[in-house]
Amino acid sequence: MIFREVEDRDLIAKARRGHVDAYNVLVSRWEKRIFNYLLRLVRQREDALDLSQDVFLKAYQNLKKLDDPAKFPAWLFRIAHNEAYSLLRKNRPEAELTAEPRMAEASAGLFPIEMTLAVRGALGRLSDDQREAVLLKVYQGFKFEEMAEILACPVSTVKSRLYTALDLLKQTLAPVNAGGAE
Amino acid sequence: MSCSIDLKAYAVDELPKNERGVVEDHVRGCQSCREELDRLNLTRSALASLEDEEIPRRIAFVSDRVFEPRWWRTMWRSGPAMGFASAALLAAAILAHGFARPVGPAAQFVDPAQIEQRVEAQVSARVEAQVSARMDAAVAKAVNEAQAKQAAEFAKVLNATENRLEVQRRSDLATVQQAADYYRKQMAQFLVASNEGPVR
Repeated sequence: MIFREVEDRDLIAKARRGHVDAYNVLVSRWEKRIFNYLLRLVRQREDALDLSQDVFLKAYQNLKKLDDPAKFPAWLFRIAHNEAYSLLRKNRPEAELTAEPRMAEASAGLFPIEMTLAVRGALGRLSDDQREAVLLKVYQGFKFEEMAEILACPVSTVKSRLYTALDLLKQTLAPVNAGGAE
Repeated sequence: MSCSIDLKAYAVDELPKNERGVVEDHVRGCQSCREELDRLNLTRSALASLEDEEIPRRIAFVSDRVFEPRWWRTMWRSGPAMGFASAALLAAAILAHGFARPVGPAAQFVDPAQIEQRVEAQVSARVEAQVSARMDAAVAKAVNEAQAKQAAEFAKVLNATENRLEVQRRSDLATVQQAADYYRKQMAQFLVASNEGPVR
């Protein structure tokens, strides 16, 4: 008997044939990443959870439209992106009103909890597009080409958003006087 | 910084190996780029400190048997079985008609195709009516069960959320209190130092 890891493509193939259990295994592999991506994008726990459920339901309903199972991660995040932006567009006025106050702290010498708050604050001050670029690159490890597919925009736009976001984050999290260079 | 090196692409692992070597060689000899890269790495480290949260409620789907086709529906959709049933019904109808019809002076010609159509239409109507009624009942039952389950889950989640928010609120209050104490101590020390004046 030969054991091998059940890959996502196997689960996708079975799920396409109507095996709900196989799809549930697939969901269990991706739900945490999708939830955290949505949580950091929409910044509301209940919204992120509701959106996660919607994402996986839509993915199941459209699984037969996925041409290449190897592209499942980018395809799944594309669905998540669309769901999140539908909500963000609906809630935009409120989101602007509840923007977090500006902080001027440096990350050097901060305690873990302070660091977490500083990072959340810094991410919260980015625009939705910039924050999403950081989430996809830094937290999800997608390549620029994959990010362009997920966001449905050119690679140059992806790079521009990410680089601007990094400059802004750097000002808060690694200011000149607290930088690594001594 | 006037160098044309893409430090950000390097910092986010987007450069191929040969280009990474070029950047590393450059950074060794360029103070400003080295400082810039240090700041980018510090930023990435800070971002990496944000840990993933566990999903509060696992997501799973179920195959609902209510919506799976029943045996009679399967049979209804099965070509050979339906053909056999139609033929049997047609034969029964012809026999019944032969025994029951009034004997008249002249036998009327009856088209078997017409009879078959009528019988099929009647059978279809009855079966569809039964299917519809049973489906409605099954769906109503399933919806009621789902609503009851959802209401219970909602109450549970609401309770858990309230508890979590209360714990978080207390934690925040404690943090603020600690920060205020620390600030007061610092201010007191500063005031004492100011009153004492410079040490000669």
